[in-house]
Amino acid sequence: MTLALFVDITLNSLVLGGVFLIVAIGLNIIYGLSRVMNLAHGSLYAIGAYAGYTLVTQKIPFFVAILIAPLIVGVVGLVLERTIIAPMRKRSMIYTLILTYGLMFALDGLIKYTWGNEPRFMAMPAFMRETMPILGTHYPVFRLVTLLITAAVMAALMLFLGKTKTGITLRAAATIPEMVSCLGINMTHVHIGAFVLGCCLAGIAGVIAGPLTTIDPLMGHGMLISSFVVIVIGGLGSLRGAVIAALLIGVVQTLAEFFITDLAMVIVYMLMAVILAFRPRGLLGEGKFE
Amino acid sequence: MPDKSTTLSPLQIFGMVVILAVLAAFPFFAKNRFYISLANEMLIYGLLAMSLDVMLGYTGLLSFMHNAYLGIGAYIVGLFLIHVSASSLWLAMLVGVAGTCLIALPVGWVQVRTGGLAFALLTLAFGMMFYTIVWKWYSVTGGDDGLMGVPNTSVTLAGIVLGKTKDPKVIYLFTLAIVSLCFLATRRIIRSPFGAVLEAIRENEERAAFIGIPVRLYKLLGWMLACLLAGVAGSLFIVYKGYIGPITMSAFAGAGVLMMVLLGGMGSLWGPMVGAGIFIFIQDYISTKTEHWEIYLGIVVILLVLFMPQGVAGVGGYLKRLRR
Repeated sequence: MTLALFVDITLNSLVLGGVFLIVAIGLNIIYGLSRVMNLAHGSLYAIGAYAGYTLVTQKIPFFVAILIAPLIVGVVGLVLERTIIAPMRKRSMIYTLILTYGLMFALDGLIKYTWGNEPRFMAMPAFMRETMPILGTHYPVFRLVTLLITAAVMAALMLFLGKTKTGITLRAAATIPEMVSCLGINMTHVHIGAFVLGCCLAGIAGVIAGPLTTIDPLMGHGMLISSFVVIVIGGLGSLRGAVIAALLIGVVQTLAEFFITDLAMVIVYMLMAVILAFRPRGLLGEGKFE
Repeated sequence: MPDKSTTLSPLQIFGMVVILAVLAAFPFFAKNRFYISLANEMLIYGLLAMSLDVMLGYTGLLSFMHNAYLGIGAYIVGLFLIHVSASSLWLAMLVGVAGTCLIALPVGWVQVRTGGLAFALLTLAFGMMFYTIVWKWYSVTGGDDGLMGVPNTSVTLAGIVLGKTKDPKVIYLFTLAIVSLCFLATRRIIRSPFGAVLEAIRENEERAAFIGIPVRLYKLLGWMLACLLAGVAGSLFIVYKGYIGPITMSAFAGAGVLMMVLLGGMGSLWGPMVGAGIFIFIQDYISTKTEHWEIYLGIVVILLVLFMPQGVAGVGGYLKRLRR
């Protein structure tokens, strides 16, 4: 393997893992804070991609679209949370799962209804269509931009959860919800906040994934499954676990796609099965919200 | 409190005989062979929905893609009939069910080691894995085109040829017989001490573990029972249709099976079978009218969970409460 190829594969793994990470961490935040596993998360990611696509075709600059599209998804999330997710909090987990599964198909159907079945391609600013020479390879600039945005989002999220008062309250709420509730924090607001934040993250991932892949109504399904694999391997609700698992899956999937193309996902599932056989609660264990 | 006795009361026996007689007489009165096929599909999906109910309603485990195991069973039986022997239907079905169990065992083993929620997510991931394999492994499964050219075999019983599988009446009665037997057997198993253990796990896993029940083992047994029944449904499916494509194993089809169980009512065994009948009927009607069938499917699932989580089987309970 030459150096150029190595650089290519490394960067591709990081880009892919980064997108997985943003989606998966959104799922984990929602789950960690409100014990809701949202199966419609992949569809929200797809809505983010379509919103970005529509904004760009309306002559809105790409970098503005990156800011607006997640907000649109966030509003969709707010409406969904208030209307159908909130009544499920008192019920058994199984009902929430089935309900959000139904929601996934309803949203996918609406996406198909609105934008049609044929794949779309997101237009990018001219400079992003260039390639940049890095260590003997010519790497597409838009992938580097994706990587930078991913890093920025993760850094912002870490600062938010680690340093701000709201972030610290959220982490406390994930660990001992009863205590935080007793201290006068309205848990309903925490639940809404977590859901909307998770949806916004899915929206961001959707927009930055737009140029990487084609935008089609089924893009959410693949992403949903991949992010499940990430959070199950990392440990449900564990944010650090999600980081490790997302990078791992990014590397493995890139390598598998490079060497055997067609059945790449099967290798990923096999890896997941092996890890879970030895560590049934994921790499870092469940529920470490930090 | 639902009836838990293992034996059937005379009234129940009478009811079952009447239902069975009506179902068995149906193909002789149906004017169009299309309706016989539709009824056949209802029976097969009824069996699948019932097998999912063993997990969902009795063990408290959620499987999003139980149809994957119907597909696996169907593919194995189809491949056996095409490549090994076209005449031995019983042997093919036996191989199909055994093969399904063999594949389901390691998957189930990994799944039960994780918690209840991860279990559900993993059924989706592994289901998608089987879907991908079937879809991409063109040389064996026929990929996107599906498995075609499954031979027309004879249905025999104790050496006597009863008819050909391509004859809708013959295959309908054959399906009805097998589905009825499976229903009675499952009902008996669910009402045995084994079934009581499964329900204990559904109600409270920790307490079940405290009184010394090996929870993982029983969950795995519940999973295996459900997959065995799905394998039976799969072998009936391929014999009836003579064809199977990856679409039968898709996540969307899996949501359909889940909806059958919801529609009929979890934890009643017969409810999901009724749910399957209603679902197939509606699907057949609506999918010809609109191409956006999945929007309606999704919305109906949401409404069912929100307002009618007990399904059709719970309607009796609602009426009782209203009368009080």
